[in-house]
Amino acid sequence: MSQIETFYDVMRRQGITRRSFMKYCSLTAAALGLSPSFVPKIAHAMETKPRTPVIWVHGLECTCCSESFIRSAHPLAKDVVLSMISLDYDDTLMAAAGHQAEAALEETIEKYKGNYILAVEGNPPLNEDGMFCIIGGKPFVEQLRHAAEHAKAIISWGACASYGCVQAAKPNPTQATPVHKVITDKPIIKVPGCPPIAEVMTGVITYMLTFDRLPELDRQGRPAMFYGQRIHDKCYRRPHFDAGQFVEAWDDENARKGYCLYKMGCKGPTTYNACSTIRWNEGTSFPIQSGHGCIGCSEDGFWDQGSFYNRVTDLTQFGVEANADKVGMAAAGVVGAGVAAHAAISALKAAQKKTQSHKEEA
Amino acid sequence: MTEDTTLLVGPFNRVEGDLEIRLDVADGAVGAAYVNSPLFRGFERMLLGKGAMDALTITPRICGICSISQSMAAALALADAGRVTPAPNGARVAALLHAVENVADHVTHFNLFFMPDFARPVYADRPWHSAAVDRFTAQRGSALRASIEARAKLLHIVGLLGGKWPHTLAIQPGGVTRAPTMRDKIRIGADLRAFRRYLEDQVFGAPVEAVADLTTLDQLEAWDTGDLGLFVTIARDCGLEAMGKGEGRYMSFGAYPHPEGPIFASGVWDGGAVRPVDAGGIVEELGHSWMLGSAAHPSQGDTLPDEAMRDAAYSWCKAPRLNGQTVETGALARQIVDGHPLALALAAEGGVRARVMGRLLELAQTQIALEALLARIDPAERFMVEAAAPRDGQGAGMVEAARGALGHWCTIEGGKITGYQIIAPTTWNFSPRDDRGVAGPVEAALVGAPVRPGEDTPIAVQHIVRSFDPCMVCTVH
Repeated sequence: MSQIETFYDVMRRQGITRRSFMKYCSLTAAALGLSPSFVPKIAHAMETKPRTPVIWVHGLECTCCSESFIRSAHPLAKDVVLSMISLDYDDTLMAAAGHQAEAALEETIEKYKGNYILAVEGNPPLNEDGMFCIIGGKPFVEQLRHAAEHAKAIISWGACASYGCVQAAKPNPTQATPVHKVITDKPIIKVPGCPPIAEVMTGVITYMLTFDRLPELDRQGRPAMFYGQRIHDKCYRRPHFDAGQFVEAWDDENARKGYCLYKMGCKGPTTYNACSTIRWNEGTSFPIQSGHGCIGCSEDGFWDQGSFYNRVTDLTQFGVEANADKVGMAAAGVVGAGVAAHAAISALKAAQKKTQSHKEEA
Repeated sequence: MTEDTTLLVGPFNRVEGDLEIRLDVADGAVGAAYVNSPLFRGFERMLLGKGAMDALTITPRICGICSISQSMAAALALADAGRVTPAPNGARVAALLHAVENVADHVTHFNLFFMPDFARPVYADRPWHSAAVDRFTAQRGSALRASIEARAKLLHIVGLLGGKWPHTLAIQPGGVTRAPTMRDKIRIGADLRAFRRYLEDQVFGAPVEAVADLTTLDQLEAWDTGDLGLFVTIARDCGLEAMGKGEGRYMSFGAYPHPEGPIFASGVWDGGAVRPVDAGGIVEELGHSWMLGSAAHPSQGDTLPDEAMRDAAYSWCKAPRLNGQTVETGALARQIVDGHPLALALAAEGGVRARVMGRLLELAQTQIALEALLARIDPAERFMVEAAAPRDGQGAGMVEAARGALGHWCTIEGGKITGYQIIAPTTWNFSPRDDRGVAGPVEAALVGAPVRPGEDTPIAVQHIVRSFDPCMVCTVH
């Protein structure tokens, strides 16, 4: 693979300065939760390793993941999208058209056999032999299987690829199916969220490219560095939760004071994601900051859990009554137990979801 | 290869979602076109039986690029069903959020989807080609980079007011969840100023007002600055004004309702005076769609996919008609119905140049309107009225997405959704033939498009299709 240029070569060609490059490396290290000692390692890897080809395919989806991705915070992250990583095949952004594009996909698979990363946005619908999503005259599920066969690893972008998302909502008319239920023989990293946060997406991909391995995953296959804590754990409104100060109605006095949205149905207490730390739109805000509760869009099955405005009641998993004050105290006790608590919740949740009782293959 | 033949064009890239078009080619030109939307998800079926308010979370996920439009239509449909009038300040903030998304979509379309075709080698012998390559090469051109950056900054406004984008949750039937503070207002003002700078430095090469003040095609022809100047040059050389001519019937549901009235008027225009939209005259026909049931108004309609995929049909898309006729919808339609003199002049052309220019004109118009809208938002006033979820009733939410008229029609019984139908702009524009065999707007516009010898994805077809800015994920949903 020595004929492939390195990331750094590509970046230099884009006119990116050394100073800017080093800044990118430190930001990436910070985003990945790595100590500053990793900065030279990232830099070294990017200077010496050939860039990893990425094939990005779209199934049943709404393109929101791509939309999120192209708005990453650091200017270089945009270059990650547009040139630094080779998005050798992305049918939303690429230059070629029609069957040429299909040919480009074939060529990329052939050329980088066993070395490329397959990024999947959306999922395959299996009903009626996959006819609800047809690409180049063939069901998407065939394209997915074909592209996956020689991939080094697979990234499941977003709630669709990871869990099914709203298109899999009852009665799931198309039998939309997450990627890991179709591809069972490859390492799969799930990056859920609807969409995932841009910086999480670039962070995951940069980690994989620089260290040439998957980041540490939790029990559900999500990168622990971004999905290790609940939104609630780092929410800036948390003091109000602990103090029992809640918004009771939209735009009431308490809403203006920025009190906790638990009673308005916020799912922050049961949702594992980095929204309250990394935030959205280049760190501008996140849903809770806009006065609306979290809907838990990075959790499996969030679309079929009853009303999005119902209070979280399955907090009984902590062994306390579903009373906001008590939960506040109990929850405070488990902060820091992060991953362990998460595993316990996941197990309980899986047990509770009888309607979706398919066992996880992974 | 000039003999008569059939071409299957697709999958189309650089459009949102999946699209496939069958072309009958005769004498070096398209004789007939059949548009297929090969992606079906069944949102209208999933909504049945769910709580009324769930529509606010589920429908935006139809589309990651125009999710606020869906959110807005759902909120208005629920407000209509529950007889709720949003708080005036809430309506202004919702209008601001919605307009920002539409503007961002126009920027994406021009820079990422439409213009890169002119950087392709097929045009290498044209005098403007090196400028097009420099600015618009896919994934690399300088205009693409500038636009992505400007767009991301502009969407800070949505981030600030809506928490996140795509799939913002802030818009509710009674208003919005976030009351902007005076500090937010100042930040939004700064974001709008930065976007004005981008438009003036890069896109227009002149003040925004100079574009909004254009009235004649001669004035447009004389424009020679910014990317607009490059577009005018390319359009002249390639004959884009005559390419993909539509049928001249335009519809707009009216954009951004708020207490001071919509920013762009609602109506139908087909050459004479603007008429009001007869919403009761909208019917979705199924003659050439893989759908079961019969033609119906969306308040009565159903979505039953024909899993046998019968031979007489060729698309998952239904065929919406207004009083039995096709209508074109989008930025050009909005500007024509709103009575802008340049748009009316472009209406006579009705082709690729007119549609693309409709968007650029609207970018200028909306920038000015947004600045005025922001000034009227009063942080001290209410942003949301108390509005319980509707228990029983029917409602319609009719808005303008970037790509044109979007309607949601809901029926609610005992607090649950018992009927939900969506007609997206691309459903109108990319509709298949109707019960009488009349072709949809894009199908009609493709007839006569030149096919060069040896072309299997004719470049003219690509220009025409992209000039409509299809959003295929919305089309069938």
